[in-house]
Amino acid sequence: MAKFIIRRLLLLIPILLGLTLLIFVFTRLLPGDPATTILGERATPENLALVRESLGLDRPLHEQYFQYMGGLLQGDLGRSFITNQDVVNDFLQRFPATIELSVAAIIFAIAAGIPLGVYTAKRRGTWVDASGTVLSLIGISIPIFFLGLMLKWIFAIQFPILPDSGRIDLVDYFIPRVTNFMTVDALLAGEPGGFIDALRHLVLPALALGTIPLAIIMRITRASVIDVLNEDYVRTAHAKGLRESTVDGRHILRNALLPVVTVIGLQTGLLLGGAILTETIFSWGGVGRWIYDAVRTRDYQIIQSGVLMLALIFVLVNLVVDISYAFLNPRIRHS
Amino acid sequence: MPNWRWFSVFTVLILVLAACGDAGTSASAPDESDDPPASGSDASEPPASDGGTSGEPQTGGTLVFGAAGEISSLDPSLTSDGESFRLLQQVYEPLVDLVPGTVDELEGVLAESWTGEPDGTEYVFTLKEGVAFHDGEPFNAEAVKINFDRWQNFATEFHDGAYYYDAVMGGFGAENNIESVEATGDLEVTITLKEPSPTFLYGIALTPFSIVSPAALEATNADDPAASTFGTEVVQAGTGPFVLDEWISQDSATLSRNDEYHGEHTAYLDRLIIRPIPDPAARLQALEGGSLQGFDLINPTDRPAVDGVEGFQLINRESYNTFYLGINPTATEDSPLQEQAVRQAVAHAIDRDALIEAFYGGGGSAADFFLPPTSGWFDSVGADVPTYEFDPDGARELLEGAGFGEDNPPTVNFWFPTEVTRPYMPDPSGLHQAITTMLEDVGFVVEAGSAIWGTEYLPASAASSYDMFFLGWTGDYDDPSNWYGVHFGFSQGEAPGRFSCEAEGLEEAEAAADAVLEEGARGEAWNEVAKIVHEEVCFVTLVHGDTGVALTDAVQGYVANPTGSESFLDIWLSGE
Repeated sequence: MAKFIIRRLLLLIPILLGLTLLIFVFTRLLPGDPATTILGERATPENLALVRESLGLDRPLHEQYFQYMGGLLQGDLGRSFITNQDVVNDFLQRFPATIELSVAAIIFAIAAGIPLGVYTAKRRGTWVDASGTVLSLIGISIPIFFLGLMLKWIFAIQFPILPDSGRIDLVDYFIPRVTNFMTVDALLAGEPGGFIDALRHLVLPALALGTIPLAIIMRITRASVIDVLNEDYVRTAHAKGLRESTVDGRHILRNALLPVVTVIGLQTGLLLGGAILTETIFSWGGVGRWIYDAVRTRDYQIIQSGVLMLALIFVLVNLVVDISYAFLNPRIRHS
Repeated sequence: MPNWRWFSVFTVLILVLAACGDAGTSASAPDESDDPPASGSDASEPPASDGGTSGEPQTGGTLVFGAAGEISSLDPSLTSDGESFRLLQQVYEPLVDLVPGTVDELEGVLAESWTGEPDGTEYVFTLKEGVAFHDGEPFNAEAVKINFDRWQNFATEFHDGAYYYDAVMGGFGAENNIESVEATGDLEVTITLKEPSPTFLYGIALTPFSIVSPAALEATNADDPAASTFGTEVVQAGTGPFVLDEWISQDSATLSRNDEYHGEHTAYLDRLIIRPIPDPAARLQALEGGSLQGFDLINPTDRPAVDGVEGFQLINRESYNTFYLGINPTATEDSPLQEQAVRQAVAHAIDRDALIEAFYGGGGSAADFFLPPTSGWFDSVGADVPTYEFDPDGARELLEGAGFGEDNPPTVNFWFPTEVTRPYMPDPSGLHQAITTMLEDVGFVVEAGSAIWGTEYLPASAASSYDMFFLGWTGDYDDPSNWYGVHFGFSQGEAPGRFSCEAEGLEEAEAAADAVLEEGARGEAWNEVAKIVHEEVCFVTLVHGDTGVALTDAVQGYVANPTGSESFLDIWLSGE
């Protein structure tokens, strides 16, 4: 097992190196550069040349790349071209917001997806199953930004029962940011009301972000449970007169769960992509909106280093999923 | 059925969370006056619901305000954009500032009074007594000198950020227009310029010229580009009515009242929170959803959603900008735009009032020349400038006279930017379609082009690549040189790039106007420049677009300034 983990970690090095080159090339392929963002209407050819020079953008591409890599190897991920903020600090300040949102979304997806999958599987062929399948198809295909805007319009404006954006009600609660997990910070500040309010702010973005994984988890669970339902040991368990809940929990779910865990792992990584849209719609100050803004302003340094850090996290999450297999299913051995 | 049960528990949890909210959000709901009055306080107190736009200011409450974007730095001297100014001018103050609501009247802020004439080189500022920075350090002449010296000696890494110092003082170091800045008393500063500058006082009224606590500058290594934390971390260094408590990039900035404020009164608001929300539709939703009590730059087409709607109000901010159609006669070979009559035909073909109705929600005015009506120079610079009424028949005749007709129509390429809206340009593609139709109607053949604003469009238009294109300008300070000078100034004998306007006598008129310092004569001199530019139709000015601030009706005392320079000092909340 240790060998497996070490090998996977070593593999990270070429993957990340390749990524830096890929992201570097992609950002430079985008039309324009940060100098035009900085100057706006004041952009004249002379001004542009001056700003490019001071940002080092007038130098040959390979020089720029090697300078960036040089910094990277020394642990320096650079500073934003626009705000001059340290990229790592920026990332660490925002990442808790993204984790908080992603965790809420995946909890929602699991908590609703698995029971729904089991429920529809056991009623296979009925109208319940059919409508579940249709709903999950809609869930997979609905664009996040549309769903987000609709949720906001319905539950925050037409029927204002939930907040429309942000992470906490700033008028009622002044929560010092310690961990930048708003729920945690509210508890640390001794504000149970703030904790509830932070949870309320999580509901709509988490629903928007969690709908696609929810639909996928539900479909995989359903398929997997249907397979298991036909197994002899399930029939035997029923024949033994075990209670329905015992059969469901101990015999069906445990055996049907392996493919579901794979999917949950993959979806958790993919949430980081969906977070870009969700965070933008709900004014959620996380990593997604940060990178979205950086692409808009062509802040190369943030795009390069921000995406690199996200990629690293994505790869690590996948590694954790692979390792968890071994615990769920002793037949799988990593060697 | 355990799984179903878990799902039910989950659903109930969400419903409970939703229900919990009502207690939490009611504090920010705009219609507090509907609450039953507290027992015992009846006739003796004026009802809060009467508070509309009148009544005594009340102290207290928190205002959450939606801004259109993130700030670029916390160091005022390194900012040049409106969003940074909005936040920082609540915290920092310059020596002088614009009187609220005006663009050309100055009042002392940190300066009690001053002497100095537009055609002179010496300015003596008498500073306010008893002012302290938020870090407790005293404000005095030495602090002012340290700030001016800091800007003049900025390391080259800071030069991009210090755009306004560069523009107002003509560069950095020994070569700029500052001869000396001396503390000639504990509360007296004498600034000597090398050459007279009629824009000097307006220049130093801008937020980048705010005076910052020298102790804070030192503590944050503000002058070391590699080590400075002054622009990136919250530091107590201002003198303004609000203190910056917390700034979380892309999330919120929290300010609270400076109880020691040196002005006539302290701020009425307990706290001011500014949240950057780039999408105007999202800002409106946040106002309607109750998480904002106000926001700036409403989409012109969304004005009816708040204007006259119960619970909301719209503050119109008169335009200090101009939307124009740039013309480059030399962009393509043998361009029909090389003929003055063709350029005049373009100007006559456009129905500006129709554009204002369709795209500006009626908020704006037709731009007969470059300066907006809010400018103090509007009458003197605009006198007798050739204007171009909407006159399609006249346009057709002009084209005919220039030898164009149905067989050989004048063909031009006409570009608009994508992925952008500006206060002067709310809907580039829609405006482009409308104007194209108007041009085609008088006989032009239009080849449409579009490019991404920040990345392609600005550099290409600056390099004179387009026959015709959209652009605009928002004034920095009220002087004709900031309008005509910026766009038609000649550098080292080179014609200005963006318009390739080679009008006879323009260069001489420009140079002459720039040298005139006496106010009356200065207006006349710039009037000569304006006449040449518009006679030749170097560009076609279209619309001065108003902008709007949307507020809940509890927000009182908001005075919009055409330049966007607005203090929250006098703003209060009724019913709090």
